[in-house]
Amino acid sequence: MKKLFIAFWRRNLAFSELAIVSNLEYRFNFFIDAFVQPLITVGIELLMWFAIFEAANAAQIGGFGRESYLAYGVWAPFLGRIAVSWMYESMMVEEVASGSINVILTRPISFYEYYLSQLMGYKIATTFISMIAPLAVSLIFDLPIHYSRLPIAIGLVFYYLFLVHTLSFVISTFAFYMTRVRSLTLVKNLTLWLLAGELVPIDLMPPAIAKFLLLSPFPAGVYTPVAYITGRVGSELVLQSFISVTISTIIAIAIGAWLWRKGLQSYTGTGA
Amino acid sequence: MKKLLKYLSLYGAFFKASFVADLEYRFNFILLVASECIWYGTQLLLYEVIYRHTNIIGDWTLEQMRVFVFLALFVDSIYMILWDPNFSKFNDEVRKGNLDLLLTKPVNSMFMISSQKVSVSHIPCLLFTGAGLIWALQAIPDFSWYRLFWLFLLIPSGLSVIFVGRLALNSTAIIFSRADFLQYVWYSIFRLGLRPDAIYKGFLRYILLFVLPFAMVASIPTRFLLEPVQIGFIAWAVAMPVLLMTFMNWYWKFCMRFYSSASS
Repeated sequence: MKKLFIAFWRRNLAFSELAIVSNLEYRFNFFIDAFVQPLITVGIELLMWFAIFEAANAAQIGGFGRESYLAYGVWAPFLGRIAVSWMYESMMVEEVASGSINVILTRPISFYEYYLSQLMGYKIATTFISMIAPLAVSLIFDLPIHYSRLPIAIGLVFYYLFLVHTLSFVISTFAFYMTRVRSLTLVKNLTLWLLAGELVPIDLMPPAIAKFLLLSPFPAGVYTPVAYITGRVGSELVLQSFISVTISTIIAIAIGAWLWRKGLQSYTGTGA
Repeated sequence: MKKLLKYLSLYGAFFKASFVADLEYRFNFILLVASECIWYGTQLLLYEVIYRHTNIIGDWTLEQMRVFVFLALFVDSIYMILWDPNFSKFNDEVRKGNLDLLLTKPVNSMFMISSQKVSVSHIPCLLFTGAGLIWALQAIPDFSWYRLFWLFLLIPSGLSVIFVGRLALNSTAIIFSRADFLQYVWYSIFRLGLRPDAIYKGFLRYILLFVLPFAMVASIPTRFLLEPVQIGFIAWAVAMPVLLMTFMNWYWKFCMRFYSSASS
C-alpha cells in the first residue's frame, strides 16, 4: 500500500513539475499570465468600486463599506483566475479529438490523473507569483483582509479545482462523440464564472437567487473564499462549500467515468 | 475603387465560407450563440445588480447605463463577427508558419490575417444587442432619434480602437516566440471599454480618451446619444482612426522584421 502511494506521489509530482517547467520556459508569457493580467483586472475593478461609492454618496452598500468592496474587487479576479481551467481543458479535448490520447493510454497513469497533476502544478506556480498583486494592493490600501484566513481560503479554491478538473474531464469525454467541443468549454466556463460570484458579490443579488447560488458548489471558487477573507461570512459557509464541492465532485467523477468508459469503447484510435 | 471592390468580393467569399463552416456543426453553433448570450447577460446583470443598491454610477442613471451597456455590447458584437476568430488563432498561425502563406498573397497581409474567418454565431448577438439598444433608448425621456446618425461616425471610430489594439497586441507575439497570454491581457484591457468613462478620473481619463482610446468604443458614443454634442470629439472621432491605422501599419512592418517563418 505504502509502495503504491509512493509511486502515485512520485509520478504526480513529476507531472506537476513538468507543468511548472514548461510554463516557466517562456518567462515573458508566464509573467504576463501570472502578474500583468491580474494587475490590470484589479486596477479596473478598484476604479469601478471607487466610482460607485463616490456617486452613491453612502458609507455602505448592501451592509458593507467601501473598503470591503475594494477588497472584494481585488481578490475576486485573482481567485477567479485560479478557479478556472481554460488551457488544460483545451489540451484534454484536443488529445481526445486528435487521437494523441493514445500516448497517454499506454502509460501507467490515467488521463484524469495526468492532467490533474499538471493543472495543480501550473496553478501552484501562478498562484505563488500572482498573489503578489492582491497582497500588495491590500497592504497599500489597508484593506480589511483577515490574513490568517488566507490559507483556508486558498485551500478551498484548490479543493474546488478538483471539481473544475473533473468537469473538464467530463467535457473532454464529449470529444469521443462530437467533432466540435470548444463551445461546450465556453458555455461551461462562462456559467461557472457567473455562478462563482466573480462579477458581483453574491450577497448583492436578490435574496432568493443568492440563497440558491450559495447552496451550489460554484461560489467555492470565488465568492466564499473572498467573502471569508474579507469578513463578510464566517467559517460555516466555508464548511458548507467544502461539503458541496465534495458531493459535486463525486457525482461529476461518476458521470465522467461512465462517459469515459463508453467513449473508449467507441474510440477507434485516430492517429494510432 | 477597383481595389475596394476586390477587397469586398474577397470578404464576401470569406463570409460565405465561414457561414457554411459555422453551420456545419449545428449543435456547436447553438452552444456558441448560448455562450455569447451568457457573456452579454453577465455584463447587463452586473449593472442591474449594482443599481439595486445605488441610483447613479459616474454620472449616469440606470436607464442611461443600459444605453451604454447595450451600445458597448453592440460594438463588441460587430468586432466579434468581423475579427475575433482571426485574432484568436493568430498566435497559432505565427507558430505553425501559416503566416508565410498569407504573406505571399497579392493582398494586404493585415487584411488577410484579420478577416479570413467571420464569426456567424455572433450575428444573433448583434440583433439582440441592437434591439436592446433601441429598447434602452425608448426609456430615455425626450430622446431625439436623429441622434442615432452619430453612430455611423462613432461606431467605426470605436471599432478602429478595438481592431488596432488587438492586432498590435497580437503582432507583439511575433517578436516574442510565445506570447499566448497576451490574448488574455487583451480581454483585461478591453474591460476598460466596457466600463463608463466617468469612473476614470483626471489623468487616467485623458489616457483613455487620447492614448489608449477605449472611451471612444462606447462611452463617448453614448454621450453623443444622451448629452449635448461636443465638437472636439467629432474631430477626434475622424482623426483617431487615421492615426491608429498609420501607427498599425508601421508597427506591423516593424514586427514583421522579427518574423522568422516557422514553416520553412
